[in-house]
Amino acid sequence: MRRLAALLWLLVVPAHLAAQDSVIVIDPDAPPAEGLERVGPPPEVVTELIEFYNDTNTTRVQGDVAFPAGSRFTGRLALHRGNLRIAGRVDGPIAVANGTLHLLAGADVRGDILVIGGRLIRAAGARHDGRQRVYWDAAPVVRTEDGLLEIRERRRPIGDLAAARTSFQTGKVRTTLLLATGGTYNRIEGLPIVFGPTFDLRASRRSAFKLDLRGILRTAGSETRLADFGYQARGEFRYGRVGIAGRIYSELTPIEDHPLDLSEVGWSSFLLQRDYRDYYDRRGYGGLAWVQIARPLRFEVTRRRDEERSVRATDPWSLFRNSDRWRRNPLIDDGHYITTGLQLDFDTRNERYLPSTGWLIQARFEHSSSGDVAPVFLPPLVRPEPPLGRRYAFDRLFLDIRRYSRITPSLRVNGRLRADGWVAGDRLPVQRRVSLGGPDLLPGYDFRAFNCAPEGFNDPALPALCDRVVTAQVEVRTRLNLNVGFRTRDRENKTGRFIGIEEADLVLLTDVGKGWLAGAGPGQVPVNRIPSFDEWKMDVGVGLDAGEIGAYIVKGISEDESVKFLVRLQRRF
Amino acid sequence: MILVLLVALLAFAAPAASHAQAGNSVRLEVRLTPDSATRGQRAPVIRSDNLLGDGRWLSTLRSGLPVRLHYRIEVWRSRNGWLDQLTRQVYWDVVVRHEPLLDQYTMLTIFGSRVQERRYATLDALTAALAFAYQINVSPNVTGNYYYTATLEISTLSDSDLDELERFLEGDLEAARGQEGLGDALGRGATRFLLRLAGLPSLRLEVRTQRFTVR
Repeated sequence: MRRLAALLWLLVVPAHLAAQDSVIVIDPDAPPAEGLERVGPPPEVVTELIEFYNDTNTTRVQGDVAFPAGSRFTGRLALHRGNLRIAGRVDGPIAVANGTLHLLAGADVRGDILVIGGRLIRAAGARHDGRQRVYWDAAPVVRTEDGLLEIRERRRPIGDLAAARTSFQTGKVRTTLLLATGGTYNRIEGLPIVFGPTFDLRASRRSAFKLDLRGILRTAGSETRLADFGYQARGEFRYGRVGIAGRIYSELTPIEDHPLDLSEVGWSSFLLQRDYRDYYDRRGYGGLAWVQIARPLRFEVTRRRDEERSVRATDPWSLFRNSDRWRRNPLIDDGHYITTGLQLDFDTRNERYLPSTGWLIQARFEHSSSGDVAPVFLPPLVRPEPPLGRRYAFDRLFLDIRRYSRITPSLRVNGRLRADGWVAGDRLPVQRRVSLGGPDLLPGYDFRAFNCAPEGFNDPALPALCDRVVTAQVEVRTRLNLNVGFRTRDRENKTGRFIGIEEADLVLLTDVGKGWLAGAGPGQVPVNRIPSFDEWKMDVGVGLDAGEIGAYIVKGISEDESVKFLVRLQRRF
Repeated sequence: MILVLLVALLAFAAPAASHAQAGNSVRLEVRLTPDSATRGQRAPVIRSDNLLGDGRWLSTLRSGLPVRLHYRIEVWRSRNGWLDQLTRQVYWDVVVRHEPLLDQYTMLTIFGSRVQERRYATLDALTAALAFAYQINVSPNVTGNYYYTATLEISTLSDSDLDELERFLEGDLEAARGQEGLGDALGRGATRFLLRLAGLPSLRLEVRTQRFTVR
């Protein structure tokens, strides 16, 4: 069967024609065309509709409204959401937003008609004098509490709400100025403030340049070696499905990307003085090249040279427990590192943040080396002394496989397999080591309950010391009607917006995981083996996830763990 | 004996197919464009009607499941005394889903690598949009007698099916096939099994045009 590689459609569908006149012409032999085209009513007509509806001289109605035969209405008439049935006489213009206008037999309308987001159904015997415009495509409008219409904007992520952003166009260059928080709060920087311009040049339909310049103001940086300012600059050229980029940076980098997301770490630090991540200072430059092999499949090669340095925790303010001491930030193996990485991303999720279906597979391999590493002391069981007289070099692999499945309209099953750690070469430096335990990967256990620290090694920083970790997570979700909250009433005393949580996912979850040191020593696992399953730690739990907030009760069942209560500000995975 | 059985099967199968078209409220029509080309070439115009008049599909949409309309046009060359020859086929998809938060219906029309999205706020508008006719410019050039068959398959999709469908039709067919080894085939199979268990509908309609001659 010959595959239809490309079709060009010529949409010969003036929206104001009747359905029987609408013909879409498809030419299968036309040149390929790509992309998503969103079709809607012309913006200027939507603006006209809103102005008409909001005019104080307009009589506004909502829902199903009828003007019976013999009735007479004079003036401007507008309807939002519903059916406007006219069998009488209307002297004046009519506008309908996301509704249907029925001109019944005997109707006599003397004025212009504008319908957006619905149809005009005209019976035989209906009379209309005036201009008539009908757009079937939905009007992107919403009715405010004041009873007026306004453009419905796409919802902004919460993180974007704490940002000031403006864009303007100069010739082909689009400039965006940004002033925002760094989206987190931590014990090294406090609240980072990010600012700077982004320049986008769309050279052609397939090629684009982008230059992103960001300054980072660290509000709690005075007591550390970290300067009060950091920066990130990135230049990118994209041509079709391939691209190259270069960047220079001076930034604070987390050692592990779990157990919480950056924003959750920020809230935890700000409210409870609990910073669940560790950090180091990274300054350097690098380049990358990528190819988008297909829409969901991306391959990337990177090479960078970093100066990596330890940083100390400071004492930023927190709302509760402010008098407590912050957990120390661990020392790292300072030095200059050259890293070459290969990364493969396969992403078929239907949504990025709240996916219900699809795959997400991320695989990253990194080879790093250093000629001037200054190692911190670690017990020999954790790591032999780094080599002298040759470069210190190691390989690391990260694998994250997630599957989101909706198996019935109301039942979803999600699974995740994650592996991270050393694969070859010298043993990992501190800043590449891994651990388990905490709200994300193994929430039934305490933060870093499994950090591979040998008996007798007590470091208040509680550093991650494992060579490798593997976790598997499964959760089953079903939607529940909660109706926890109240419903407002609008001016007509009809039921209005619901404030609270109407629905939430009931989540049943289980996680298993293991972190270990690789080697032939006591308590270590041979480098070519994965620990036997009976050594893995397991937890089970239940929770309610309302999308932007979720609460869970989880218990580790492999050891005598207390029940943990967690609040998450996003999906678990 | 086998031949007799086959003939009997065909004899019963043909009326059953006709019955399917007549008995379901969804209708599929295909006609030829007017005979105005100098060589007699005519294109097919295909149109489905009354999809939402069949309450099952509306109920499916309102249950949150997308509905997929898979159209296929086949160009057949009629050969007297010999089996007809399939010379070409073209297909495209229309996927409809209800967005309860906006109380709107999104209609994706997927032609090869291009996807068009339209939104409708009322059932009337959606119904009218679903009744669009499609003229497919696949008229044959070689001399001969031809006819077109038009097929419409309507099915319920899970979200994962929808996602895969979009990727398939946006040019990711080979890549997506290659990924079946990752376990997706089992996942989709189980999903479809559960959908069928849930009693969700599917429908297949097929019609054909009269013959025409290209000179």
